[in-house]
Amino acid sequence: MLIQIQIIVGMLSFALLLITFELIRKERLREEYSLLWLFTGVVTLAFSLWPEFFLSQFITRITGIFYLSAVVVIAFLFLLLIVLHFSVVISKLTNQTKELAQRYALLELELKEFKKRNPPPTET
Amino acid sequence: MKSGEKILVVIPAYNEGESVEKVILDVRRYIAEADILLVNDGSTDLTSDRARRCGILVLDLPFNLGIGGAVQAGYKYAYEKGYSIAIQVDGDGQHDPKEIPKLLEVLEKEKVDMAIGSRFLGNTEYRSSVMRRLGITIFCGVISTIVGQKITDPTSGFRAANRKVIQLFASNYPQDYPEPEAVVLLHRCHLKMGEAPVAMSVRYAGESSITKIKSAYYMVKVLLAILVGCFKKRPSL
Repeated sequence: MLIQIQIIVGMLSFALLLITFELIRKERLREEYSLLWLFTGVVTLAFSLWPEFFLSQFITRITGIFYLSAVVVIAFLFLLLIVLHFSVVISKLTNQTKELAQRYALLELELKEFKKRNPPPTET
Repeated sequence: MKSGEKILVVIPAYNEGESVEKVILDVRRYIAEADILLVNDGSTDLTSDRARRCGILVLDLPFNLGIGGAVQAGYKYAYEKGYSIAIQVDGDGQHDPKEIPKLLEVLEKEKVDMAIGSRFLGNTEYRSSVMRRLGITIFCGVISTIVGQKITDPTSGFRAANRKVIQLFASNYPQDYPEPEAVVLLHRCHLKMGEAPVAMSVRYAGESSITKIKSAYYMVKVLLAILVGCFKKRPSL
């Protein structure tokens, strides 16, 4: 049982690391959001490489659980993917907001300078 | 300096009401022919009013974008208004406008696309915390290796850029840790950089965006950003 979980978790966490890296490379994920994802990938990878340590030493001592359901792990990883998608969306929105703010400021300055050069005729 | 060149001095400022007037007056004294644009990065103090009273251009961002977004807004203005040279000077008074001619000299004489004002080149004195210095030493090593050229002060935001760099930065400027990342970006776009030794003073007022405690965290994040940056797609000019 453990070896199957090991392989699945190992492959998924490796995929997570790869996807995260690829997203940063394509600039679809901002660095500020990527740290957590890289960290998660590394931890789950470590979990699959040394499960004895995590199961017999670490988690057992804290919670008494010695058997992790593969279903729970997979469901959890899917949730991770969804949240990762959210991070990508937020990155995109942040960038769009930045562009909008800059454009707004530039237009406002342009308008002010224009008004300064051409005062409205109604004003005396 | 060649005549007929349009020069814009970009001053990003976030809550620098105490120091901004002195910076503007100094810039005007040492480079009278340039236009000055203050980018107010959503300040909550009198930065914008005080700058406007000096009679310079003021670009008010609707909210705080961070140094990357503010500086890029300045480059966008420079690009759209056809400036041939843009100079970046911090609004906190850290950079001495007296040194601007040195940047322009490097830009012109060394035929580089961007001149960086370096605290550590030549006999300039500069004091900073141990963590900060350690961080800068590591950056210098990593960045100089990537760029294949000795860059002594990659975190310096005291810079002069020509039209090509203005165009690049207007559409592509790093947001999170802009100064060191911009150096790598320039190298990836095959643009040349040079350094000029400048004196930098301790800040007049305000707080540095990097506090002591955050230095180590900052260092790790910047290095990560730079290393990943090497794999990013090169922006087309």
